[in-house]
Amino acid sequence: MMTTSILSELVAGAKSPASFKGIRSEAEGFLAESRIPSKKHEDWKYTNIKRLFDNGLNLISAENITFNSVDGVEVSWSTDEALVGSTSIHTKEAHAALNTSLFEKALVVRVKKGTQVNDELILNQVINLKDGEFTATRVLLVVEENASLKCQYHYSGSPSNSSLLNNLTEVFVSRNSHLELNYVQEIGEGNLMTTTEVECQRDSTFTTNCVQLCGSLIRNNVNIRLKGENIETHLNGFYMLNGRELFDNHTLVDHLVPHCESNEIYRGILAGKSTGVFNGKVFVHRDAQKTNGYQSNNNILLSDDATMNSKPELEIYADDVRCSHGSTTGQLDDDAVFYLRARGLDEFGATALLLTAFASDVLNGISNEELRASLEEKIQDKLKEMRG
Amino acid sequence: MSLLTIKNLSARVQEKDILKGFNLTVNPGEVHAIMGPNGSGKSTLASVLAGNESYEVTGGEVDFDGKNLFDMAPEVRAREGLFLAFQYPVEIPGVSNVNFMKAAVAEIRKHRGLEQLVAKDFLAYMKEKKELVELDGKLAGRSVNEGFSGGEKKRNEIFQMAMLDPKLGILDETDSGLDIDALRIVANGVNKLRSKDNAFVVITHYQRLLDHIVPDFVHVLYDGKIVRSGTKELALELEERGYDWIKEELAEA
Repeated sequence: MMTTSILSELVAGAKSPASFKGIRSEAEGFLAESRIPSKKHEDWKYTNIKRLFDNGLNLISAENITFNSVDGVEVSWSTDEALVGSTSIHTKEAHAALNTSLFEKALVVRVKKGTQVNDELILNQVINLKDGEFTATRVLLVVEENASLKCQYHYSGSPSNSSLLNNLTEVFVSRNSHLELNYVQEIGEGNLMTTTEVECQRDSTFTTNCVQLCGSLIRNNVNIRLKGENIETHLNGFYMLNGRELFDNHTLVDHLVPHCESNEIYRGILAGKSTGVFNGKVFVHRDAQKTNGYQSNNNILLSDDATMNSKPELEIYADDVRCSHGSTTGQLDDDAVFYLRARGLDEFGATALLLTAFASDVLNGISNEELRASLEEKIQDKLKEMRG
Repeated sequence: MSLLTIKNLSARVQEKDILKGFNLTVNPGEVHAIMGPNGSGKSTLASVLAGNESYEVTGGEVDFDGKNLFDMAPEVRAREGLFLAFQYPVEIPGVSNVNFMKAAVAEIRKHRGLEQLVAKDFLAYMKEKKELVELDGKLAGRSVNEGFSGGEKKRNEIFQMAMLDPKLGILDETDSGLDIDALRIVANGVNKLRSKDNAFVVITHYQRLLDHIVPDFVHVLYDGKIVRSGTKELALELEERGYDWIKEELAEA
């Protein structure tokens, strides 16, 4: 089969180091039997990635994540198999399996037991892939027991729109530890497929906010497994699309045990001929009694040609839980715009004020005020671009 | 010179003619009350003057302080000093009253060539205006009108009017649904804002409000035009006799 051979070719072309043999063979086994996901595949119904693979991709090695030095955080590149690859997703989903087959070394971030990190860790991945170039990067983030960390992960650069970056980040939030992980994705015309695979243990808190500002195609998977009791998670996203941009957010919150809370808000503004996808699954297993699960996805379309595909999914197998989900897609409220104009704001000012307020429910989840302020500015800039 | 001159104004909404040759002249220092039965065109008049694009102006002229009102976008009308207190103020989640007023006052001061207020002066200015309508301090920090009671929303409209210091305030059924205490507070707020330089057009269903905001002129709007004008005694007569006698007189004529 055509598609299978492309996947195999990609893997065969890789100069795999001796390390990661164990996890690679499993992933390669999976790939040998799978194809590049097409529109026939439920999880890829609205996101066509065939274009990228059709023209052929040229695998290159890349070590393009930089980081600041922060007291209490160990950061290093590693090929230690014992550390990397303990989450389960990387052998069961095509892009994650591709990543596991192809990455050369992992950036390992570690906060040792009992360490409260004061300063924020900032990871910068500047992507400058040229035509047809493809690379896979891997990150492992471990916050050990009773420790805490705040981390920003920025994707930026001006990669070619026929290139592809594949990233897989594994995150371990240990017992009674706390992690805030904020993503900013602005990759010009580039294409990004990224998976964040999170495992949380008892009494921990995990917050992640993802702000997507530009990119030809962004597929963002976030999977969170709540493996111990008394975990609180916040999973938020905000996306702005214009032109022919396509951003696809797939999330999974897996409630495996009782007494956990998950909150999820994804919001987006779509203009031009852009396409958005939100697919949010919340799974409440039979044992996960007393779960509080909340999910919402709200979208504002600024043009007649923009499309939003929103699919909230809630599957509950326990009988004593409190869960809700909702999805709305609509236009800006004309009455509200007129009300603001009647008080002296011009049309753009009124629109910007309303849309900034719309974003604020997500942005307020970011504790760093400086980051929030810079994002608000970028949102204003993108609104100006959307206007014309 | 008059502040507002409306000549032969016609307007429609959704293919239905509502205003049919409306005339009114308002001078600085005056308060005009416009009364009329449901569907006579009262709210259409308010919306057209404020620039609501759902209403189509099909004829006539409006001069506001020497300028053609219809040449101006809604925000320019506001900056020039026209203020509409909405019949149904809009709830705006996520935008605080304070930030809203900061943005609005900044635009209006810029337009009028006034220096911008520094944060401290702005807060002092806001405090003074809040007291004018006995607006609870907490409401100012909350999202615009979100979860406000009917009375709180109307007080918030008068508060905004005080903040923006218009030449002409149009009150669109600001009294509807208010209990007597809220009515008194709203009316007192308006009375304190009255001066020889500004003017008000008070659109109302009920004479009750006019006990508190005493008008210089009362007009009866019926079927899209003013069919009778008088002084405050006309309002009392309407309260007493309803609108039917006017309709009957018109039918006979």
